[in-house]
Amino acid sequence: MKTLLKTGIITLLTFATFILSTTNVNAQTKSETDKTYIKIEVDGLSCPFCAYGLEKKLKQAGAKDVLIQLKEGEATMSVSKDQQPTEDELQKIVKDAGFTPKEITFSTTPFKMKKDEK
Amino acid sequence: MKNKVVFILTAAFLGTFFLFSCRGKQEKKTEISTQWKFVKSIDLNNVNPIGIVAQGDFLWLSDVDNNRIVKIDLDGKIIEAFDGFQRPMHIAIQKDKIYVPEYTSDSLKILEDGKVSIYKLKEKPDAIAGVSIDGNTAAVADFYNNRIILQQNHKVTIIGKEGHKDGELYYPTDVEISNDLIYVADAYNNRVQVFDLNGNYVRMIGWNEGIKVATGVKVTDSQVIVADFDGNRVLVYDLNGKLLQILSDKFNQPTDIEIVNNKMYVVNYKRSSISVFYK
Repeated sequence: MKTLLKTGIITLLTFATFILSTTNVNAQTKSETDKTYIKIEVDGLSCPFCAYGLEKKLKQAGAKDVLIQLKEGEATMSVSKDQQPTEDELQKIVKDAGFTPKEITFSTTPFKMKKDEK
Repeated sequence: MKNKVVFILTAAFLGTFFLFSCRGKQEKKTEISTQWKFVKSIDLNNVNPIGIVAQGDFLWLSDVDNNRIVKIDLDGKIIEAFDGFQRPMHIAIQKDKIYVPEYTSDSLKILEDGKVSIYKLKEKPDAIAGVSIDGNTAAVADFYNNRIILQQNHKVTIIGKEGHKDGELYYPTDVEISNDLIYVADAYNNRVQVFDLNGNYVRMIGWNEGIKVATGVKVTDSQVIVADFDGNRVLVYDLNGKLLQILSDKFNQPTDIEIVNNKMYVVNYKRSSISVFYK
């Protein structure tokens, strides 16, 4: 009887752990799939005033996790899918910040970043 | 008698000539000793500075990449750090108050005894790149609006507008009030422009030296010192804009200048360091 109870508790705990971890993974996956990742290549991104100006304008437009790489001349960010800007809208933001956009890439997965060398 | 007069006149002439020669040499010697000379470079540990101001024997830096203000000693050791600022740029100091312009939030904040308050601006800026405080007067470099907001008690004067002509600005990044004049680092017009307190254009400095990006400006009682960010130089002028000296080879994206005890401290954004000069 004691052994049966012990086995039952262990089984229950294992099952609960499994359910919890599965839920967490599902939540994480859902959160990631709700996002669109964007990379913008920019001409003339040389000084911190320029870089953080672009960061400011992109954040004002609802972008998250904005990262400006001066050396690469790139800006990466994520946006929620229901607020995803069009390419034209992004080009306008970059131009308003004082730059010329080159290539804009949309992705469902995060971009691999090269470390900004300083 | 005639010979005596000739002798006296010749002696007087030679004496005067000798005196003037000596004075000339002395002046030349004095002029040479007013040149800035490199002393050393101070490495900053994980600080990417834009602005620098002095307080006694300490320096305050705006660490833009890390969103903080740091206080260091003259050897570069961090004494205190204050986090939570949103991209702080060219800072200013008056008494014990550090004025911190936040580029991202468009706010001008005051750091005093570890506490942060807000300086109310009557005009809305778009990306404050620099600030200068003189008594009750504040001048703010309004980067994206290509202008300087000059706030004197309740009066607001707008200086400049977007353009490239005299009195027009193109992405101003720093400003300094000195002796009732406003000196503006007119970054992408590659020059410094000077205005009076009514916003009237007074003069231009540095247009002839091929400045690439005039990012920071410091005004002393006799000099205007300009940081050329992309040119990796610091240019020294007299107050009328006459070039006195060009410093180079010791910088890596210089952004701002401060003077303490006859020493010049130039912050380098990219190298994360301070170049020190004396005269």
